[in-house]
Amino acid sequence: MKNITTALLTATALTAAASTAQADAAALSIFDWSGYEDQGFYGDYVAKHGGAPSYTYFGSVEEAFTKLQSGFAADLAHPCTDALRKWVAADLIKPIDTTKLSNWDKLLPQIKDVDGVTIDGQTYMVPFEWGNTGLIYRTDMIADDKISIQAMASPEYQGKIAVPDAASSAYALAALATGASSYTDMSDAEFQAASDFLRAIHQNVRFYWSDAGQLDQALASGEVVMGWGWNQSELNLIWNETPAKMMRDVDKGIATWVCGYVHLKSATQSDEQVYDMLNALSAEASGKYIIESWGYAHSNADAFKSADQSLIETYGFADVDSFFDGSLFFDAVTPELEVRMLKEFERIKAGF
Amino acid sequence: MAGFLKTEAGKGLALSAPASLYVGLLVAGPLGILVAYSFWTQTYVDIDKTLTWANYIEAASDPLVRHLMLRSIAIAGAVTLATVALAYPIAYFIAFRTQKKTLWLLLITIPFWSSYLLRVFSWKLILGFNGVMNSALLTTGVIDEPLTFLLYNEFAVVLTLAHAWAPFAILPIYVSLQKVDRALLEAATDLGCSKLERFLRVTLPLTIPGIIAASLIIFIPTVGDYVTPSLVGGSQGKMIANLIQVQFGPANNWPLGATLSLVAMASVGFVAILFVVTTTALGRRIR
Repeated sequence: MKNITTALLTATALTAAASTAQADAAALSIFDWSGYEDQGFYGDYVAKHGGAPSYTYFGSVEEAFTKLQSGFAADLAHPCTDALRKWVAADLIKPIDTTKLSNWDKLLPQIKDVDGVTIDGQTYMVPFEWGNTGLIYRTDMIADDKISIQAMASPEYQGKIAVPDAASSAYALAALATGASSYTDMSDAEFQAASDFLRAIHQNVRFYWSDAGQLDQALASGEVVMGWGWNQSELNLIWNETPAKMMRDVDKGIATWVCGYVHLKSATQSDEQVYDMLNALSAEASGKYIIESWGYAHSNADAFKSADQSLIETYGFADVDSFFDGSLFFDAVTPELEVRMLKEFERIKAGF
Repeated sequence: MAGFLKTEAGKGLALSAPASLYVGLLVAGPLGILVAYSFWTQTYVDIDKTLTWANYIEAASDPLVRHLMLRSIAIAGAVTLATVALAYPIAYFIAFRTQKKTLWLLLITIPFWSSYLLRVFSWKLILGFNGVMNSALLTTGVIDEPLTFLLYNEFAVVLTLAHAWAPFAILPIYVSLQKVDRALLEAATDLGCSKLERFLRVTLPLTIPGIIAASLIIFIPTVGDYVTPSLVGGSQGKMIANLIQVQFGPANNWPLGATLSLVAMASVGFVAILFVVTTTALGRRIR
């Protein structure tokens, strides 16, 4: 009898301890895209703190910015590099202390160097996942030797192309098409040429997509034959067995996006707990998991060695180095140019 | 004080106080903030609170704003016309031709049992490239290629909104038809009116208030509709609310967004007043 009582008491105590640990783990709040609460992304954090952090979601980086600026508080947030200059200017985020990051040296150097991860010599983001924005096309409807960004303007494809409803993405596309020297700091002539290109392809645009699912479905049904989109769409089409792929030839134009975690000024949890999470997110095991299960590329270089090589091949990340040399990165756009892009893009979409 | 509350005026004030307070705090307050914002300026991530007309000048001189505003009014006008024209016969049927009024009214509200967003999305599935409509036409051999003019234009927006707002038109028109004194109709017949004349000279003028109510209930909210044009409108079907959303979202220019909202409200108000005045005058002329 006594033994049973002891056992019961011990069990109760253990449960209590576990639930306290879980409560502590959940005290860390993360402002993220939906889907990233997947525990495979931060196994080390769960192991150490006995539970997952709590998540709040946003649908776009702009929405996240507006919400944070209106006073929403969290410990970590998950924007992409092109937005970072604005987030820093709005005084929303703290610099990252890279000495507290156990995986910092293992992260891909090209990803760490992207403008936005570091701004004015300060590191603001721990890059987590990256991927491509490129031209995805139906291989059964357009021959490989005929595909190019410029083909989007061809009268042959009237009503058969899709472009993202996001000024920065659209201008990255236009910069690649018109050969602008830089995407973040275009000259007036280059900006004009890029805008002219967007006007030219506007005639062919079936829709400007705002959620990737819309693009996936339109490509799968043949409503559009090519679209500027994320590698996620290419994966969905591969999994759906639709004959489609992303044009990965760097000479023809492809862009690379990098997203990661930033430490918010409104954070309330201890630095120790925040950095535990950052370390868990950037760990090799998390990288292997995201590459294999999600088809996204991770920032940890070792993850590419330990992940299934055939999957890496399928998902298009086999030759990372040549890729980085020729790809356009979504750097943090200068404020003046961002305003011009947004204004002009609204006009172009309305047919002006 | 207690004495005042027993007077007619006192009772009235006491009864309307909760609603007034609610409206004051949650409508007038935010509206005041909107007005204040419209005179400020956005400087990158901060707001410059110097009062200026700059946003109004920009809104007035920008052809894009004018274009989208006119399109929004045109779309809402088409929706109102279509909805009221389709709703009138149904309301007439329920008021005059059936005994099962409650059942019919219940049936009309059925679309409201599902969410507005879902109904908009269903239209996207119906009108889509491989949607219900195209699949049906392709299978029956009416067309060889899917029709692309069904979705992503003004037509799709008008169709979707007209469907979503139908009950709002039927109910006020039904109420006004229900109130028509049946003796007047008999008198008109006795005095030699044909059925059509009786409708045009008695029923229709008497139900003008119902038509006005229905039109306003539909016109005012649809001018500022955001979800429908963004889901089924494509780039040709964008409306003013989409531009306002851009200012509050991606463009992060709240002052300009506030100005556009106020300009839209003023335009809607102007058109609505114009409509009420002309319809009332028209009603008098028929009589």
